[in-house]
This record gives sequence, C-alpha cells and structure tokens, in this order.
Amino acid sequence: MNYLMLICTDGVSTPEIAATMQEHAPAWAEEMDARGVRLLGNGLKGLETARTVRVRDGETLVSDGPFVEAKEYIGGLDILDCESLDEAIEVAAKHPVSWFFSIEVRPFAQPVNMPDGWSYQQVRYLLMLCLDGILEADEVEEQLRRDLDAWREMADRRGVRLLGGALAPPATATTVRVRDGETLLTDGPFVETKEYLGGIDILNCATMDEALELAESHPLARFHMVEVRPFWGA
Amino acid sequence: MSAVTAEAAVQAAFRDEWGRVVATLIRRTGDWDLAEECTQEAFTQALTSWDRDGVPAKPGAWLTTVAGNRAIDRRRRAARGAELAELAAIDQLRTQDSDYGQDADADEEEPEVIEDDRLRLMFTCCHPALALEARVALTLRTLAGLTTAEIAHAFLVPEPTMAKRLVRAKAKIAAAAIPYRVPPPELLPERTSGVLAVLYLLFNEGYSASSGDELIRAALCDEAIRLAHLLRRLMPDEPEADALLALMLLQHSRRNARLDANGDLITLEDQDRSRWHHDEIAEAEALLADRGIGSHPPTPTNPTPTNPTIGTYRLQAEIASCHVQSDVDWRRVASLYEALELAMPSPVVRLNRAVAVAMADDLDAGLTLVDELAQRGELSNYHLLPAVRADLLRRRGDTDEALAEYERALALAPSETERRFLQGRIEELRPS
Repeated sequence: MNYLMLICTDGVSTPEIAATMQEHAPAWAEEMDARGVRLLGNGLKGLETARTVRVRDGETLVSDGPFVEAKEYIGGLDILDCESLDEAIEVAAKHPVSWFFSIEVRPFAQPVNMPDGWSYQQVRYLLMLCLDGILEADEVEEQLRRDLDAWREMADRRGVRLLGGALAPPATATTVRVRDGETLLTDGPFVETKEYLGGIDILNCATMDEALELAESHPLARFHMVEVRPFWGA
Repeated sequence: MSAVTAEAAVQAAFRDEWGRVVATLIRRTGDWDLAEECTQEAFTQALTSWDRDGVPAKPGAWLTTVAGNRAIDRRRRAARGAELAELAAIDQLRTQDSDYGQDADADEEEPEVIEDDRLRLMFTCCHPALALEARVALTLRTLAGLTTAEIAHAFLVPEPTMAKRLVRAKAKIAAAAIPYRVPPPELLPERTSGVLAVLYLLFNEGYSASSGDELIRAALCDEAIRLAHLLRRLMPDEPEADALLALMLLQHSRRNARLDANGDLITLEDQDRSRWHHDEIAEAEALLADRGIGSHPPTPTNPTPTNPTIGTYRLQAEIASCHVQSDVDWRRVASLYEALELAMPSPVVRLNRAVAVAMADDLDAGLTLVDELAQRGELSNYHLLPAVRADLLRRRGDTDEALAEYERALALAPSETERRFLQGRIEELRPS
C-alpha cells in the first residue's frame, strides 16, 4: 500500500527543534530508504513561494499563498510503501517532525508508479490538487476524469511530470503525533477544512513559470484549485 | 425438532457465535460488509435448516461454513465473466466441499485460528487510527452483533448518523489498510490498553444512565461484560483484562440497588445489600484473588504503594471490592486511590481520594484535599466537587456551609436524578 506522508509544521522553530531535526531527519530518511518503505521524499520551500491557481470562465487567477491558510501547513512530503497502516504509523512516528508537530498519513487511491531511473534532480515542483468537495454533474465528472488522463499523458510525453496520483478521501487519513514518547493518533487530516488535498503531481520542469503554466492547464484548476510549491533544490 | 426449539437454538447461537462467524469471514474475505451480510444470511437459514434437520452438533462451525459458502456464491456472481484466475482465487476461500447446510457440521480450520479471529476483530475494531466513537460502534456491531438501530439508540444519535459512522470506519479500515491482526509484541501492551479502554467506555456509557433508555443501557453493560469475559479467555496472560472484568462485575452487581422506586440515586452506604448480585461479586473476588496483588497491597502501614506492575484497572477493581465489603476499609481505599493517582494523575481521582481520606476518620485532611482542588480551579464546573465538599461539611456538622455547597452542586448537576438527590440533602439539612 502506498501512503502519502505529509510533514506538517507551524513554522515556529526553536534552536532545540532545529538541532533535533538536523540530527535525526537525515538518519530517518536513510533508514527508511534502506528498508524500502520510503520511495521518495523532499521538503518544500517556504509558504511565501506558494501560488494557488484557479481557472474560471477561461480566465486564470493566480494568488499568493497556499489554498487554505492555517496555523499548520505542509512543509514536505514522503511517499511510502508499507504493508499496512501500522507500518506507516511506525515510520511516521520515527520522523522527528512528529515529535514536535504532526504528520498526516493518507493512502493513495491507486499504487504509485515510480518511473525507472528517476533522480532527486527531477523532484522540482509539487502540484497539490485541492478539491472543494462539491461534485459536479455525472457527465462533467466523467469528462474531468478523461481530461485528467489526457493532461497526465501530455505532461509525461513532454517529460515534465515525474509521478503523481489521486489520494483516498481525507476520512481515511490518520494524523500522527509523538509526545512524551507516546504515539498519539487522530482520525482524519491534520487540519479539517472544506477544501482538501485530493491528489498530487510532482513536476520535473525547469522553472516556476513552467510549473504555473502546467497548473493552469491542469483540468482540476477549472473546477477546483491547484497549489504550486517548489521543492528544495528547485 | 419443534420450531420453538430451533428458534431458541438460533437465538442462543447468535449471542455466542455472531462475532466468531463474522470474525472468521472477515479474515477469509477481507470484506467487512460481505462478512456481516453473509453471517446474517447464515442465521436466517439456520432458522429453517435447524428446524428441518435438527440443531447441528457444532452450531458455530455450521454457521461459519454456511456463511463462508454464501460469500463464495456472492463473489462468483460478482465475478461472472471475469478471468478464470480470479475464480480460482475465489475457490481458495472454500475450505471444504459441501453444499451449504447439508453436511456442514465441521469447519476444517484449526480451532485456534478461528478462536484468534475474534481477537483480531477486537483489536481491529479498537484500532487507535479510528475515532473513539467509531471504535465503540464497530465493536458493538461486528463483534457483539447489535443492529445499527440499537447502537444508535444506545448512544442517542439518529440511525443514519450511526450508519454513516460505521460505513466511514469500515471504509477507512479497507482504504488505509488497517491490518486485521493481533498486534505484534512491541505494539501489544499499548493496543491492549486501547481495547480495555473501549470496553470500559462501553460499560460506563451503560452504567452512567444519565439519559436514554434504561433497557438499552443495561444491555450495554451486559455486552461490555460479555466482551470482557471473551477478552479474558483470549488473553489469559493479561492481568488487566481480569481486573477490568472484575471492576465491571463489581459495579454492575449493584444495578438493582442503585436507584429507588422513583429512579433516585441511593448512596452506597444506604443501598439494600440483599439486592446486590452476590454471585457476580463472588466472581469478581475470585478473579482478584487468582491474581493476588501479593505482598504489594497498600496497607495502613504501607500507605503509598508504588508498585508500577499493578495496573490501573486492578487498582480500581480493588477499590470497588473494598466498597462491597460490609465494613468498608477506608484507609485501604485511601491508599489505593493514592496509588491510582500516581499511576493516572487526575483531579477526579484526587477528589475520590479526598473522600476516602475523610471517611478514614480524618475529615479535616479530606476537606483540605478538596479545598486544594478548589483553589487550583480544577473541576470548577464539576458538580461533584461542591457535592463532596458539602457532604464532608455535613458530616463535620457545619450545616450552613454544607447547605451553600449543596446549592452550588445543584446548579451544576447534569442530570435530573442527581438534582433530586442533592435537593433531598438540602431539605434534610434545612432547619424546619
């Protein structure tokens, strides 16, 4: 089972937190890579670099900032391959972020295809597909699915999309926090909002402008929102 | 075999076998809804088959086989037109070649595997990644076989809300791959206490009786005790499972004496002991005696036991056991509460400890503890804080102060029963 692990922080760091992260986060990644439970993972640049893209009546609206303003925000992600939720929880609870902040673990709706021979240099921009929870008419939804397939095919052909996929509904999420050595679980996402993350695409394009252009052409931008975030190194 | 007997046999089997059959079907099919539906159908078929052919020697095995075959049939129908390979996979579900119900007396799986299924089910229903209310509902539905309507009624929520809660929980188990298993050793202690917590919550929901249908609530207590019996059988090496069962038995044993004819609360010291269920008390005492807290029981000479191996349910059961003695050893109760507070610091535990200290012939020390709680502003909206203070003041003879505290408690009391009790005390004290 593939899970998306969302690293959630409130951005407030202390020297103690920073030191703990520096000490434990790389070791965590190394251990999980070696175990084969971590397929990919990277941090995201600060929220000031986030852009949210909507297309309404043929007009593109780009706003600064994430799709939902909350105290806690997504600071990075990892894609896991675990035998069960228990293993995903165990992996999340070992990540130092869960000792201070929270980590949301959410299953992907389908297995994630890792492309052959990929490298971290290709992990450049993240599209977060933010759904507003409103279902359109059946035929519209059907068309949207077809458009989505076509968009991914186009992006793959252009060689700008590394991987991506739809997530299972937010109700299947589990939020992991570790406090005083005890793993605390909460049913549901780390922040409950009307709009929610419905899927991701990781882009391998050269510039933020190109990422924004891809977000604009993303079919979900027409009915929902697409948040663009650069990964570290982009 | 007469219809009445077959029906009675099916009813008896339902109590004993529902959870077992569902648990096994979930393991075999991985599909909770399919498991429930096919189990339901197996019980329906038992009504006619057992009437016609007699009650099978092993009703549980019969029901499991029939339900299992139903599941295969449904999957075959669903897979019609699918690849042969899929059919072959479905065939692996079949554990024996029998037409349903005919010679299905025995399921060929190892009994231990089947027995473990219910433990798997219990741990999965109580998985901490599910919301607490969903854990409780799922336990009652899949393990105890209560209907969605019954559970909704017990928790005072509309039936569609409860149905949604169950659907959501089952969807999460499937989509997020919550494993169907008894947790591995490193997770077992933590997950076991999670299961115990759900059972105790279930019990308290029935026991507190602050609102809702009394009958349904009594049924919740019964179910909690039944599940605790089961857990104890499945986890014979878990002392806290014994202790929780003992605790629930001791509390439940007083159910007929707790309320008077008007539904008003009767305090422990005023209860008619002949109305207690002494068989249940004896069962609880035997459970506690079997496990003996050995040289560690708190005593007046060793008033602060700190043995960390004594679990919190054990301490609570010991306290409940003290309370059913004809002469309550309040000093022992006080030191048990002290140990409980160490293990599980909480202002409510401290309040109880204050009562015990006061009753152990040190009213002033008890009042001091209560006053400290009040000064810290803890429990400021909890009616039992002024109620306890009032009671201790009354015992000390400070009538005016006691009256004022009873009034404060009255304003905070959440249930009509408790308000009537406090009103009664006020009327007793008020100078006529």
